[in-house]
Amino acid sequence: KMATLVPDGSSWHQVLKETAAEWNRVSGGKVRVNLYAGGTAGDDPDVVRKMTLGTLNAAVLTSVGVAEIDKSVYAMSIPMAYRDYDEVYYVLEKMRPSLEASMLEKGYVVLNWADGGWVHYFAKRPVTDPDDLRSLKLFSWAGDTDTLEIWRNLRFNPVPLPSTELATALQTGLVEAFGAPPQVAVITRYYENAKNMTDLNWALLLGATVIKKEVWERIPADIRPKLLEVARNAGRKLQAEVRRSGEADVAAMKSKGLNVVPVDAPTRAQWTMLAESTYPQVRGHIVPAAAFDEALRYRDEYRKQQAAHKK
Amino acid sequence: MTTLAAVFRRTEQVVLVATLALATLLPVIDAFGRPLGGFHVPGSAAYVQQLTLWLAFVGGLAATSQAKHLKLSTAEFFDEGLAKTLSQLLAYSVAAAVVGILAYASAQVVLANRIQTKMLPIGVPEWVSETVMPVALGLMALQFAWMASNRWWGRLVGLGAIGGAFALGLVPPESAGALWPLALLIVGAALLGAPVFVAMGGIALVLFFREGTPVAAVSAEVYRLIASPTLPAIPLLTAAGYVLAESGAAERLVRFFRAVFGWMPGGIAVMVAAVCAVFTTFTGGSGVTIIALGGLVYPILRKDGYPEGFSLGLVTASGSLGLLFPPSLPVILYSVVASTRDQTVPADDLFIAGLVPGLLLVVITAFYGIVIGRRVQQEKVPFSPREVVASAWGAKWELLLPVFIVALFVSGFASMVEAAASALAYTVIVECFITRDIHIVKSLPNVLLKAAALMGAVLILLSVAMGLTSYLVDAMIPDMLLTWVRTHIESQVMFLLALNGLLLVLGSVLEIYSAIIVLAPIIAPIGAAFDVDPIHLGVIFLANLELGFLFPPVGLNLFLSSSRFGKPLTSLYRHVFPFLIITGIGVLLITYIPAMSLGVLRLLGRQ
Ligand code: NA
Ligand code: NA
Repeated sequence: KMATLVPDGSSWHQVLKETAAEWNRVSGGKVRVNLYAGGTAGDDPDVVRKMTLGTLNAAVLTSVGVAEIDKSVYAMSIPMAYRDYDEVYYVLEKMRPSLEASMLEKGYVVLNWADGGWVHYFAKRPVTDPDDLRSLKLFSWAGDTDTLEIWRNLRFNPVPLPSTELATALQTGLVEAFGAPPQVAVITRYYENAKNMTDLNWALLLGATVIKKEVWERIPADIRPKLLEVARNAGRKLQAEVRRSGEADVAAMKSKGLNVVPVDAPTRAQWTMLAESTYPQVRGHIVPAAAFDEALRYRDEYRKQQAAHKK
Repeated sequence: MTTLAAVFRRTEQVVLVATLALATLLPVIDAFGRPLGGFHVPGSAAYVQQLTLWLAFVGGLAATSQAKHLKLSTAEFFDEGLAKTLSQLLAYSVAAAVVGILAYASAQVVLANRIQTKMLPIGVPEWVSETVMPVALGLMALQFAWMASNRWWGRLVGLGAIGGAFALGLVPPESAGALWPLALLIVGAALLGAPVFVAMGGIALVLFFREGTPVAAVSAEVYRLIASPTLPAIPLLTAAGYVLAESGAAERLVRFFRAVFGWMPGGIAVMVAAVCAVFTTFTGGSGVTIIALGGLVYPILRKDGYPEGFSLGLVTASGSLGLLFPPSLPVILYSVVASTRDQTVPADDLFIAGLVPGLLLVVITAFYGIVIGRRVQQEKVPFSPREVVASAWGAKWELLLPVFIVALFVSGFASMVEAAASALAYTVIVECFITRDIHIVKSLPNVLLKAAALMGAVLILLSVAMGLTSYLVDAMIPDMLLTWVRTHIESQVMFLLALNGLLLVLGSVLEIYSAIIVLAPIIAPIGAAFDVDPIHLGVIFLANLELGFLFPPVGLNLFLSSSRFGKPLTSLYRHVFPFLIITGIGVLLITYIPAMSLGVLRLLGRQ
């Protein structure tokens, strides 16, 4: 029994269904996957609770869900810490062993990692610099008190709401801006009421496919590597799919009137400074201090390598 | 024993009133603090979530001691005697056993949440506050065992039932499949007087258990629903409706609508339809309308010369008019339940789409009243503009309430929960300080307590219904049903007709909230497969349930009317028959003319 928020009928869902069928094939019919897509089993916290209780066995989780198990994963989503995919994935490759070991300690086996694209800001009025965003009512997820307080301390105007109320709140004007990856904005059509997208990679939404350890160990040992192989391949396929669709999604929104607001280098620096000013609160509260430091160390290491390479 | 019981009761009361007060204040502070530089209580959303959990379970406990849990009407068929004693013993022993297992299952959920280590801003882990679930359910199980009989041996049977249920946990998984007859026992207990939530929870537990899934699957859903962020709107608006029902608001509204409609032939019938519609927007489909207004408007109708049968039929039928108008709870709940990541059904769109269909149902009911009213001889009251103004002035605070709430929400000033909390705050301020119908110290706590018991009953029923739905989802029933429907039904018209029939029958058996929770997630995807607009589907769904309330043998309004006016159910069947026909025509029109629902949305550019 595997649950996911991935929308029913989307290309992601297709990849997952293929994976399920492939697992069934390579295990000679011994592994059968029931897929509950589109959030029918609940939001990520519900899904993790159900895995703890044993009523679900596996799940494709967003970073919110993975963090319910182990918060270290948020080190990969520190705002403005990474410039592009290469930086994040360099750090992820370095940190994977420790991330996966600590997930295993909590009773979960990670089958693959995949991301859902970069979080961008969508707003009713064009947002170039942080002050533009300060003047708007910003969606903030009702379950996440820490982030909410950080926004408030930075003199932003966050409105805590359940994600199911976001569509309505954008219509009534209760919310004027929100952060989401382009694919999410397209599928939910949230962007139709917030037609300005700031061209800034704020943070990467990382996810993982996990399975409960005791369920994994019930699968015959000779089959497990084959399943893992299939899952890793699917992860790569999802990855390619997300990057390909990322551009297509922005193009699709543009054709329906989306205005992409450019951000120049000095303004980008403003955003980075803003994000970095929150790091003391993020470190230790939202991201465990050790994981936070490790991630930034690897990132600096990567940047140094790149700089050396260029010389 | 009596002092212990008294202390227990007192604690329950203090906890409930304090919880409700906090659950009202926090969202109001959030909403009104936002324009004032973002003044707020840190983490208020997390608190409100926990407060709702407390309202549901301590309220559920209060509902158990006040015998407020919804039951099937068949339970009343026995007179005193051996049959009654035995049926009570069976019903409550089963209730004790099921609730005992639910207490155990929710303890598992609390333990699972303990691993996730979420903290409330005051430094208390959330799981500590969540222990209210297993504790309240445990106490409820003991209460049911106590209620199984007036004698000690009977109560011991009740306790034995709890023990027996836990002993079933020792059954090896491979033979658990043979346990399905337990579901029949549970249905039997519900027919003999066990609360409906016990039946739903019990059946869900048995279904999960026999396929080897941990029974915590049910309590995980209970928790998921009650902890969902929009849910607090339901207890808050219920409490607001209850405060209105206990104040003189009904008299003032009746005076106003009488002044407006009383002069025309059949005007009193029009007044009844209008006043019931306005009242139901606040009380939702809970049947409070019939209880609060029935005794007031029925004598007015009779005095005006309307026959007894027509008067009873009209009051019964009007008890759920207005269900589609803002801020009616069933509409909000449908939006919460039918919305998924893929497809949102925003409550505001649903309200806008429901305006014309809702009006249609009110108008055809009123029109039938006019037809009958012209036939009966009556003294006409001359139209008096002065009385209209005077009565409007008298009822101004109540008439402004829906305007105030809708304005808060539509202007983007407040979220759903904040608007609901503002409604309760507004109602309390108006009825306690302006009209002074309710004394804030002497009577308000009692009114809120009664409301809390009702809320507890509703919330527990809702959340347990969610547990049953989750079994259906887990067993992939919606997918199978969709495949079946697709092979057997080809056209959209046939699908809608089948839907009308299904909702009519199920709407009469299920109470409205559980009907929404159980059926909406199953029907929404099928509707999408047949290209029915999701908003239109919501309006069809709710209008159909409104009709289901009148459908024999056990439609909720029939049952409530029967107990309110002391009339046998069978005589009510006859009296509501004409209303059933005309409302049925209305529902068919709503179903097959989508423009009625979607037209206004299109005019506003929302489609
Ligand atoms: Na009603
Ligand atoms: Na939902």
